[in-house]
Amino acid sequence: MSMHIANGRWVVWLSFLVAMLFQIMPLPDLVEAWRPDWLLLVMIYWAMALPHRYNILSAWILGVMLDIMLGAHLGIRALSMSLVIYVVVLHFQRLRNFPMWQQALMVASLICLHHLVIFWVQFVVGTVTFDVSLFLPAISSLIIWPWVFWILRRVRRLYKVR
Amino acid sequence: MKPIFARGISNQFRLTLAIILSVILIVANNRLDPVRKSVSSVLSPLQYIANVPGALLDWSAESLATRNMLAQQNKELLRQQLLMSERLQRFEHLRQENDRLRSLLGSPVHMDAKKIVAEVMEVASDPFHQYVVLNHGARSGVFVGQPVVDAQGVVGQVVQVSELSSRVLLISDVTHAIPVRVTRNDVRVVANGTGVLDELELKYVSKSTDIRVGDLLVSSGLGNRFPEGYPVARVMSLVKDDGQNYANVIAQPLAALDRIRYLLLIWPDEPASEALEDETAMILSAAKKAAEKAEVGE
Repeated sequence: MSMHIANGRWVVWLSFLVAMLFQIMPLPDLVEAWRPDWLLLVMIYWAMALPHRYNILSAWILGVMLDIMLGAHLGIRALSMSLVIYVVVLHFQRLRNFPMWQQALMVASLICLHHLVIFWVQFVVGTVTFDVSLFLPAISSLIIWPWVFWILRRVRRLYKVR
Repeated sequence: MKPIFARGISNQFRLTLAIILSVILIVANNRLDPVRKSVSSVLSPLQYIANVPGALLDWSAESLATRNMLAQQNKELLRQQLLMSERLQRFEHLRQENDRLRSLLGSPVHMDAKKIVAEVMEVASDPFHQYVVLNHGARSGVFVGQPVVDAQGVVGQVVQVSELSSRVLLISDVTHAIPVRVTRNDVRVVANGTGVLDELELKYVSKSTDIRVGDLLVSSGLGNRFPEGYPVARVMSLVKDDGQNYANVIAQPLAALDRIRYLLLIWPDEPASEALEDETAMILSAAKKAAEKAEVGE
């Protein structure tokens, strides 16, 4: 079994950076609750495409960075993102072969899991009230996932990321 | 081709490691401020980049404003300045009188504190808290616990500082409380945030306490965090329910927390620098000029 040389690592991290920017970019109040989880979507894509390079620990690092960017309690998003990416990495082959609509549904349910874990830990460390709007990002992510997937696949092929 | 069987560390091990590390972070959150500060200093350029579209929008709105609009705005500002400077003159007199009285009483003279104007950066924050991000950080001398006010009243306090930006917790956040007193009769209470932007709750107010709807609450300075005398909120409703031990008092913050743009960072322990006093003098002379102009105009 030959060693696989990583290629295009900077492309991946650049995509994470752009996703992080989208994640903290200001939005009008009306659509704020609908903000898709850009960072998690991009992370899910790379974990699906290259599960041996970008997996749970990369998700953990990104989660810590996101927590710091948002000024949230440290470790919450790190925990939820690593859990989600664990599920992705376990089933990456199945996920890859799903038709697009099924894949998008899976991604949406993963986003739901992400928000549930965040809510749950937040509930343990502080006071929060449950609100159904918690799951709005899952819907917007569902709609946006095919485009994210398409763009990132083109990027991956263009720069021969391995 | 990629290997079908992953080599190296197993996914289960990675997950366990990630969970353990996360739990450590969650538990040690409050002791990790130095880490948070250094990492967010590295990441804060991202915040500045994310702020660019909004800033561009503002800039284009400003540069596309018509001459008429600008003239109108200018007129309005001049009028406001005139009113303000009149109030300032009276205030100056009162201040001197107050200082004299204080020195007669032998109590320390109230000093003017150092302050700088900061702009709110439009970046998303933790949805479970009410934060705003300011464009000043440790480099400008901002510190954790620093009081922040706007033109109308107290806004909140700084909770996280990085090199170039800082994060302010608003007084309406659930985790925030500020000691206040009623200006009418000096009754001391604590105003807790409720998570709703225009609501504060006064807790443990006994039913016999003399508080009325419309009372002005100012910071009492008792927590040694907010300087004394800044307006905080106005009592909006007061319900004395027989079934409850305490009166249910709701107040509305005076600062417009939903549309803050420019804020003042205050250093309560540092006296105002000469520059700021010069500024005050400049404002006064400018106001005088404006007044003369207005007179000529009439």
